[in-house]
This record gives sequence, structure tokens and C-alpha cells, in this order.
Amino acid sequence: MKILFAEDTKDLNRVVTAALEFEGFYVDACTDGEAALKHALSDSYDAMIFDIMMPERDGLSVLREIRSRNIVTPVLLLTAKSEIDDRVTGLDAGADDYLPKPFAMKELMARVRAMTRRKQEYDSGVIGYGDISLNGETFELKCENTVRLSVKEFELLQALIRSSDRPLTAEYLKKNVWANSPNATEGTVMLYIQYLRDKLRAVRSKVSVIEDDRSCILTIAAQD
Amino acid sequence: MDSIYGASYTKLQETMDFVLGEIDRIRKKTLEQSDFDPIEHVAYRIKSEESMIEKLNRKGLPVTEESAVNAVHDAVGVRVVCAFLDDVYMIRDHLKSLPCCEVVEEKDYIGHAKENGYRSYHLILKVKGRCYAEVQLRTISQDTWAALEHHIHYKKEKTEMEQLIGEELKRCADELASTDLSMQTIRDMIRKR
Repeated sequence: MKILFAEDTKDLNRVVTAALEFEGFYVDACTDGEAALKHALSDSYDAMIFDIMMPERDGLSVLREIRSRNIVTPVLLLTAKSEIDDRVTGLDAGADDYLPKPFAMKELMARVRAMTRRKQEYDSGVIGYGDISLNGETFELKCENTVRLSVKEFELLQALIRSSDRPLTAEYLKKNVWANSPNATEGTVMLYIQYLRDKLRAVRSKVSVIEDDRSCILTIAAQD
Repeated sequence: MDSIYGASYTKLQETMDFVLGEIDRIRKKTLEQSDFDPIEHVAYRIKSEESMIEKLNRKGLPVTEESAVNAVHDAVGVRVVCAFLDDVYMIRDHLKSLPCCEVVEEKDYIGHAKENGYRSYHLILKVKGRCYAEVQLRTISQDTWAALEHHIHYKKEKTEMEQLIGEELKRCADELASTDLSMQTIRDMIRKR
């Protein structure tokens, strides 16, 4: 599992990174908000930990930016501030958890484990992307026309939309969307990609799923 | 006999036979070429006296042979039920390409389903400059849905129950449409191998 960690205090950054790696996580560590945002937008993570007070861009701003791009990866905020209002602001901005400094390493590790254990839940609201809307409650895919997607088609499209600005491998999609189906192959993923393409076309959407010829790398695009 | 269609009845029958003949021709051609029957079944009729008179009255048109044959365009009705979506479009393209048929009206309720979920491709053809024929093209599941919807005949009143039934029928239509598309994708995949 891969974690993005942003903390500008160098010593603390080193210690937490080492502890996370000891726990078996793969860690991308950075020391300012701008670098954290760049990582968050160009790679896929299982969880993210942001310090609130950071140079370039604060943790709350990074959090708001990634949530506005439909990235729902769990986020834990670290801060020296222990005002209730700050915690509320952080949680309302889309954070999943909050840990005031100073904290016990043991507790941080336990919270990260809890966060990554939580199964990705459906976003039961309506996700918009390009000219389509995808209803998390009914699985309705809508543009000029409507169809109902199957569970796997819905999850796959949701995953593609959430990663709309970075390419995903078929392998990654297999591991995430088909996490509980040991028999699924990359062929399964590609067949479902084809289902989605045909269904997007049937509702007269311009959204397309682009496939890199050489490798099974997939990107969703709002236009043809 | 005192038919509303009068002497035009034979013309209507010839028109229907012509359309049916063309559908049969493309069906046989496809069978020869790909060993696959694109058509599940074909239904056809000349609108009954009773329905035609009712329709003319409803539309405020004079109940005459002239209106029955020229003002209303579905005296001849043909419904083609296909196995797959692509077959619907293939039959449509064939009918549209016929030199002696003019497409008077075209309604794509597959690309843009009706609000209640109804899906079908409607063509009104003027055959040999004489008579009109309405051709409805759809898949088996679209036909199944339409048959069920017709049976249920739910009232248009907005009671809570009617609203729920309407929404559920729409959901079924969208699920069937999704299945139609998946079946088409699977057939394409098999053919590519």
C-alpha cells in the first residue's frame, strides 16, 4: 500500500516515513504543499497524511484541491493547532481523520491502519464528468440518453473519473475494482472497458476511455 | 364492402407486401453472408377499421378514405424485432437506401429514449410515391419491455403508486438497454476472434 506524506519539519518527516515503511507501507514523502499536490494528482495512493501548516501551500488547501477533483483517497491531517474550529474546518474540507501534535507514533500508525482498512465506499451522490453524470445511488449513467450500469461497470467508471487526470494501469484497476474476485484478469478489465465505451456511446456522450497501445494504460477523457 | 379504405385497400396491401419483401431480402442476404439471422420475428398489419376510425376522430380529421390513406401514416404497420442492436441499424440502413422509398419521418427513440423508457426506431416511408408505411425496428428486449408496458397500462395519474411504477418501468428499460449493449459488445468480441 502506498502513502503520500507531507510534513515540513524535516526530523518529524524522517521519523514518520521510517515508521510507515517499517509498517510495510511504500511512502512518497515531501516537505511542502505544492509538492504534495503534484504527487496527489499524478499518482494513486491508498492514504494521504498532510500537515496543515506547510510552506508553498497549506494542507487544507491541498485537501480541498484534490477533493474538488473527485479524488476520495482517505486523508489524515496533522496539526499543531488544537482549536476545535480548525478540526471542524479540516473534517468539513474532506479529511477523514485528524491528529493534533504532539502525537504518539503508535497512535498515528493505528489511525493509518484503520484508514487504509476502510473499504472504499460508494459515493452515493451524483458525480459529474464532461457531459455525463453518474448517480451513485441508482447507477444511472446519463447524458442525452440513460442506461443503468452494472455494479462493476459503475465501480470501474467511478475509478476512472476519480483518476481522470492521471493514467491508470489495467493491473491497478483489477486490484482495486476486482479486489474480491481472484479470478479476474486484465482481460476482464479490458472487456468492461469495452462495455463502458459502448454504453458511453449509446448515451451519446463525448467521454472516451483512451488506451495506450503498448501497455494496458487507461485514461478517461471528456472529449473524443 | 364499406371499408374506410375503399378501393385503396389493395394499394395498402401491395405496400405492405413490398416492405415485407424488402425485409425478407436483406434477411436472406445477411443469412447467406454471415450465417446469422438478424431478425427474430416480423409482425405486420393493416390498421383495423375500428382503430382507424377512432384515430381519425381523435385527430379531428374527416372519416374518409382520403384521410385514412394520406393524412394518417400508419395504415400500414410493420414491426421488425431484431436479435442485436447492430441488426436494427442494418435493417434501417437497407430500408433507407431503397430508391423507391422516401423517408418521410424518422424517430430515433433508441438514441433518445422516450421519457418513460420506451425504445424503438421509427421510420415512416412513402413507398413508390403512393402509400405510407410505418416501420418500427427494435431489439427483443425493447420489444419485451414495450409488451409489458402495454400490459400494465398504468394510469397517468400521479398517485404515489403510479409514480413508483413509472420509475420502475423506466429503470427496467435502462437495465435492458444496458444488457442489449453488453450483448452487442460480446458478439463483437466473438466475431473479432
